Amino acid sequence: MMLGATHLTMPFLASLDFATLPQQIINGLLSGSIYALIALGYTMVYGILKLINFAHGEVFMLGAYTALFVSYFFGFEPNSPYHATSVWYLVVMILASMTVSGLAGVIIEKVAYRPLRNQARIASLITAIGMSTLLQFGGQLFLPNSPPPNIDQRINPFSQQIKFNLVPHDSSLLAQLNVLKVTKSQADSAWKTRQKLETDTFSPSPEGVRIRSAAQEADRHFQDLSSRYQTSGVTVQMALGRIVTIIITIILMIGLTYLVLFTRQGRAMRAVSHDFDSASLMGVNVNSVVTFTFIIGSVLAGAAAMMDATLYQPGLQINTFFGLLPGVKAFVAAVLGGIGNIPGAVVGGLLMGVLESLVGWCGYTGWQDAAAFVVLIVVLLVRPAGILGSNEVEKV
Amino acid sequence: MTTGESAITPQTGGFVPKLNLGMFFGVRTVSILATVLFCVGIDFFSGPQFMSRYAAGLIFLCGTYVALSVSLNLINGITGQFSIGHFAFFQIGAYTAAGCSKAFYATMHLPTLEWLVLMAIAGSITAAIAGFVVGLPSLRLRGDYLAIVTLGFGEIIRIATENITYLGGSKGIDITPHYQSIALIMLLAVGCIALSRNLLKTAFGLGFLAVREDEVAAVAMGVNVTRIKVLAFIIGSAFAGAAGALYAHKYGFIIPDQFKMDGSFIVLTMVILGGTGSVTGSILAAIILTLLPELLRDLHNVSFGGLIATALMVLVATFGIKRVIDTHFDLLKMKWLSALGVLAACVIGEIIIKMLLDLFPHVRTHAPIDGAQLRMVIYAATLVIVMLLRPQGMFAHHEFSWTWVKKVLHSKTAVKS
Repeated sequence: MMLGATHLTMPFLASLDFATLPQQIINGLLSGSIYALIALGYTMVYGILKLINFAHGEVFMLGAYTALFVSYFFGFEPNSPYHATSVWYLVVMILASMTVSGLAGVIIEKVAYRPLRNQARIASLITAIGMSTLLQFGGQLFLPNSPPPNIDQRINPFSQQIKFNLVPHDSSLLAQLNVLKVTKSQADSAWKTRQKLETDTFSPSPEGVRIRSAAQEADRHFQDLSSRYQTSGVTVQMALGRIVTIIITIILMIGLTYLVLFTRQGRAMRAVSHDFDSASLMGVNVNSVVTFTFIIGSVLAGAAAMMDATLYQPGLQINTFFGLLPGVKAFVAAVLGGIGNIPGAVVGGLLMGVLESLVGWCGYTGWQDAAAFVVLIVVLLVRPAGILGSNEVEKV
Repeated sequence: MTTGESAITPQTGGFVPKLNLGMFFGVRTVSILATVLFCVGIDFFSGPQFMSRYAAGLIFLCGTYVALSVSLNLINGITGQFSIGHFAFFQIGAYTAAGCSKAFYATMHLPTLEWLVLMAIAGSITAAIAGFVVGLPSLRLRGDYLAIVTLGFGEIIRIATENITYLGGSKGIDITPHYQSIALIMLLAVGCIALSRNLLKTAFGLGFLAVREDEVAAVAMGVNVTRIKVLAFIIGSAFAGAAGALYAHKYGFIIPDQFKMDGSFIVLTMVILGGTGSVTGSILAAIILTLLPELLRDLHNVSFGGLIATALMVLVATFGIKRVIDTHFDLLKMKWLSALGVLAACVIGEIIIKMLLDLFPHVRTHAPIDGAQLRMVIYAATLVIVMLLRPQGMFAHHEFSWTWVKKVLHSKTAVKS
């Protein structure tokens, strides 16, 4: 039994490449920050209305399309000649995305959710699904979707890669590597000069065979050592755009925290989330609070969409189902962190991102999406309110 | 009107003074025979000599969705456990059939119909096991959280099948006896309906309703809530699994992408649109929602301006009628007249807008919009509008019955007179 277990686990452990682990965790945190931004919209709406806003992914999609149109406006159309880009273009793009997404969120709330607020919650859930389908398929009528367009990579001024050395490479290996490099180039040039004398380079004379195998041997030693050199240190590499993404995300989250904790409107939001009816009795204008919540959530989704399609994954193809998968994952992240809880959404989003990239790191790329749901179910069974959610006592 | 009323026998109380055994079993035998005759009859009349293969396929699809929505109604509507991952069980049934057919069909030498029955049973068993697994969390979780778990379970099943190479992975799998059995799917649908209906006539079945209405009170009344919740999941998922097995054999090819969560949402929509807990509502909604996108398949191309005008008018009509219904809720005559007035105004408005748009041809875009693309848009818009106008579903909590029709007609005539 034990033998079988070791037989199973040892090759698995051996197949893992621990030198790339920090890189994978950083990648996970970066993709998690996008999930976190979308998850905030789900969690805030759930906190206030107890409604799963299935159309939130479509708000995200509209944000991405807005960014695309603004980039067209700046002249970055497909097959357009070279333009100089500027950071201000990105600023305009992100602001436009946020505006359009915010408007879309408010309109969806007014049309589909507000008339049903006093009805059973399941009715709003169905209209949410309906609005989501309507935007996905209705968008196909008006938005360019085949072939799927993408935001021109040339508009991204932050495309250079940045490397960080966490653990420096082995310097003795480097010295050996330099020695081997010289031997390899000598053996290579010897084979090249010999090649000209041979009549048939594929089956050379015995002397030629000796020189060729010496060159191959030197090359193999060099490759071997250079891979050992690569794994002796730990580097983390990422595009500058991803760093910009995470900086903007942090700024947005600080802004959100300030808004929720220290402003009048934020206090009203917390009050409504705590008790909808009592808040309205205390003179809080519930309708304006709900509208405000939808604006904030959708604006964050719009910013996430623009950053995802421009900075985080430049050249990502956009279609009307663009928001489906990120939406579902962000929703899972919101539940994971405790739905209705704002820091929970951030924690859940980051956790989701890291988890996904770790599952990919283990070699199970096909199971990445499933892993998120497995963890979700386990968390819900162990702690039904999510990681940071508060366990409510059931009142009879 | 009077003849119609006299035809309806008034329902008395459930108390039967003398049980006529011959009558008791006679009625049941006849109804079971009639059911079987109905299913076989539909199978016969959907043969190639009576209708096209496409129409027969639609009947099969209606049967599948009726079975799915009625079985989800048992979990969602009758027991009140909010499950939104019903396609997972459907998929488990389909893939059980696919896997068993791949492994055993070539060596077993069974006739096709018997093999289908066997596969339906196998699919229902595996789906029931899955239903048991999903039902267990329902003891701890409530409402939205349970919904999320069922949704996640559906996704896990789909992704798992994508990664199992024996079942074809994400490339899909061929299923060897490629046979469409309308009789079997109808039998399944009718069986599901009969079970849901008869369950509510028994004392044990009323426990399901009690769990939906108030769990704590149900426990206090001595209802075994654990057993009822898990049983609802098991029964509901078993029917979905059997439907999945028959569906897999009808198409002869399945692929994990068919079982995405929008399928679950469509089934859920059928249940909600029909009215949660109403079996007849689920049946009607399933048939309408299956046929609607298919009927919309042959849409003609429309102009951009016409589409915008129609969309605007539909919006105005929806909100106008909603407002009318909200304001004149006690005056039935006023309600219908005003709603009709709003509709008429909208139609006239649309005609005027279209005429205006004809005057300015450059308002329209160059290419007309493809009718096929409009299909799902109209489907989604119908969904939203019906939910806005009647949030409790078509039949709300009630079942369709002739007494109900009589009551509605009567109340209308009472207001008129």
